[in-house]
Amino acid sequence: MRSSLPLVAVLLLAGFVLSFTASEYTLRLLNMAVIASVAVVGLNFAFGYAGLISLGHAAFVGLGAYTLAILTTQAGWSPWLAAIPAILGTGLVAAALGYPLLRLKGHYLALATLGLNVSFSIVAANWIEVTGGTNGIARIPGLSILGHDLKDERSFLWFGLAVLAVLSVLALAIHGSRIGRAMMAVRDDETAAAMTGINVTGVSVSAFALSAIYAAVAGCLFATHVHFVSPDDFSYAHSITHLAMLIVGGEATVAGAIIGATLLTFLPEWFRIFGDGYLAFFGLMMLAILVFLPTGIMGLLRRWRRAPRPGTAPHGAARS
Amino acid sequence: MADLIQLVTNGLALGSVYALAAIGFVIVYSATGVVNFAAGQFVMLGTFAGVTTLVTLGLPMPVGYAGAVALMALFGLLFYAAVYLPLSRSPVVTIIIGTVAIGITLQNAALLTFGSWPVRLTSPVEDMIVEVAGAVIPLHAIAVVVATAVLIGLLWLLLNKTALGIAMRAVAQDVRAAKLMGLRVNVLLAFTWVLAAVLAGIAGLMLGPMWFADVNMGDPIALKAFAATIIGGFGSLPGAIAGGLFVGLAEVLGASYISSAYKDLIAFGAMILFLLVRPQGVFGERIQDRG
Amino acid sequence: MSALQATGITKRFGGLLALSEVDLTVDPGEFVALIGPNGAGKSTLLNVLTGLSAPTTGRIALDGRDITRLSTHDRIRAGLGRTFQHGRLFERLSVIENVMVGAANRKGRSEAELRSTAFAQLRRMGLERFADQPISALTYGNRRMVELTRVLACEPRVLLLDEPAAGLNTGEVEDLMARLRAIRAQDKIAIVLIEHNMGMVMRLAERVVVLNFGVKIAEGTPAEVQADPAVLSAYLGEGAAHARH
Repeated sequence: MRSSLPLVAVLLLAGFVLSFTASEYTLRLLNMAVIASVAVVGLNFAFGYAGLISLGHAAFVGLGAYTLAILTTQAGWSPWLAAIPAILGTGLVAAALGYPLLRLKGHYLALATLGLNVSFSIVAANWIEVTGGTNGIARIPGLSILGHDLKDERSFLWFGLAVLAVLSVLALAIHGSRIGRAMMAVRDDETAAAMTGINVTGVSVSAFALSAIYAAVAGCLFATHVHFVSPDDFSYAHSITHLAMLIVGGEATVAGAIIGATLLTFLPEWFRIFGDGYLAFFGLMMLAILVFLPTGIMGLLRRWRRAPRPGTAPHGAARS
Repeated sequence: MADLIQLVTNGLALGSVYALAAIGFVIVYSATGVVNFAAGQFVMLGTFAGVTTLVTLGLPMPVGYAGAVALMALFGLLFYAAVYLPLSRSPVVTIIIGTVAIGITLQNAALLTFGSWPVRLTSPVEDMIVEVAGAVIPLHAIAVVVATAVLIGLLWLLLNKTALGIAMRAVAQDVRAAKLMGLRVNVLLAFTWVLAAVLAGIAGLMLGPMWFADVNMGDPIALKAFAATIIGGFGSLPGAIAGGLFVGLAEVLGASYISSAYKDLIAFGAMILFLLVRPQGVFGERIQDRG
Repeated sequence: MSALQATGITKRFGGLLALSEVDLTVDPGEFVALIGPNGAGKSTLLNVLTGLSAPTTGRIALDGRDITRLSTHDRIRAGLGRTFQHGRLFERLSVIENVMVGAANRKGRSEAELRSTAFAQLRRMGLERFADQPISALTYGNRRMVELTRVLACEPRVLLLDEPAAGLNTGEVEDLMARLRAIRAQDKIAIVLIEHNMGMVMRLAERVVVLNFGVKIAEGTPAEVQADPAVLSAYLGEGAAHARH
């Protein structure tokens, strides 16, 4: 399994086929899954490739979404135009924050990024003149392509799947490039990476900024899909969900990110049959996955695939 | 002046609760290396253990408090067996997500059991006040500060003067060496979780009369406890106390003198500043990434 | 001009003086061995030379250029290379990908060029059959050879080797020595070897530098150093026989 490209293609195609048969409710969930997938494929750069534990990813989704929301509703920009500063600006902010923050490792970095996310939420909830406070920003215009408005769930899903496809292919290309290898070298052994000529800080900051750029794209999709943003949509709990999606998907792969994001978008909905407090079952399910499937769904798939051929040579260590 | 005395007392009372939550978090971290993201839910459960014994069952005060603490001890043991043991060999991220997951479960199990309607947990010194230099101070606030000081004193005695506490510290420093010395590491680790749950539970019992008992109260407390530990120094008990008091004072004084909307930014701003400038915190001596 | 020149290197850790006024000069293409009892400061010197720790005082120049304040990766790009005592590889990259990370130090190489350069380096070291294997499939000896291949792919002019023979069996040590000779002849790089295997030191090195307690106590040809009474007494603590091994 040198590359998860075929599996990614199958997943995206499945989404496309489902778009013709699924109910409106399922279509809406599929859209949420696609948006989460974009964010989590991005988080994979920071965590999966470069090994940075970020609990602040949702803040970058929010920064992208809020920038687009403010520029469209207050300055009257078209959402297409507003997406450019939203995405690039978020990347720059992440790079600027990354330089001081990424000297921290492990749970120090986790708590620092968590603090960052909480700070973002506080500002979003209280800087009322700009963000609308806890009321959020409503009436964000939707996207339209060649005069066709993406206002129904189905056409938005097609657009979302196309964006996810492009970003997944880009992520896979980076994985197989010198930049991707440099990120993974930093993750595996920082000292040895520096001793192989890698600028560890530069590579870490690049991975962090790239992950924030993907997050901002997800934020722009979110804002133009829901037409409404509020601080609750980007709380640190969402950051933890993003990380959980990556781990449940497993093995720091693009396909795993998409599987994890989709599964954890649908799973709580399925648990609604348990009534109030259904999230209690969701939490137990998560814990069970972590304990019994430490390598996630991708690890499970790999074992299934290998099972009929015992004794074959081990697979390449690097998967994408 | 009267205002200031009142605010400082309230800040110290709230800070005491944060400090106890932070101590529970730090004890577990030092002994097991686990960053417990469910720590806030431990405090929430403490409040509702009190609601169960004192309000639902209507037990008399001393019995009710003792019963709530006993429930929390039992919960600590259960958490050790059902959450810590299965996860203990996982990477740090898996443990973070695992404790978050179980935190979600605890919060929603509490929602199922107690409902979303906030409950009032009264204080043994309900409605009593003390006047100091013209300032009107609720007796509960003073009682919380005193009780916390006593608890910290007892904890110090436990960790420094008893065989059990010294063995716990040995395990925290070096598990393998402790095993070689013949210590029953598993029992000591289980006791660590019990102690953490009891301390968090007491924090919850003290917080109940200050806030409403609400199943969603865990997350904000956990975040404050994290900020307290970072500011004070990760893994340091004096740091957890100092950090907790700082966060409590910053919250109460900041809300009054700066902005009630941005009161929490002081604590988190200080936390991020410390992470960048002095990641070992005020009392921490070295960064030790147990990964 | 010297390939590597370290002058007056002093390194203190709190009250402990790990290196005291150590000078080390390596000429282009020269093979120097750095020996000394355990705790003599050899690895500390390597860490200072490669920028993993900053010297308290002293100056380091590579090809006449002052690199004392450069970061580790800039020193590598400037022509320094180093292996570690127990071999540190990127565990989740394949063998050839490890080497490609080194090869990527030269800018402007396409992905295909990186792969072919890395493969050529692996073939030169007799490791081409492991190219697509994960690191976990390698023996300890081969791990160390892959690390050496990776650093060679960085195309250093001065190569620092930290006990490359430790943990290798006799056949592997002979193989390593033959390859080091060939590398030196082909690449014209200077090598600084830290090694406890004195047989290897005496057969390979043109010049030997001896450290003890952070001070340079002797320097000269292998024969001169072997006859030096100061060196013998330095090694008596852990056995003079070991020094003559």
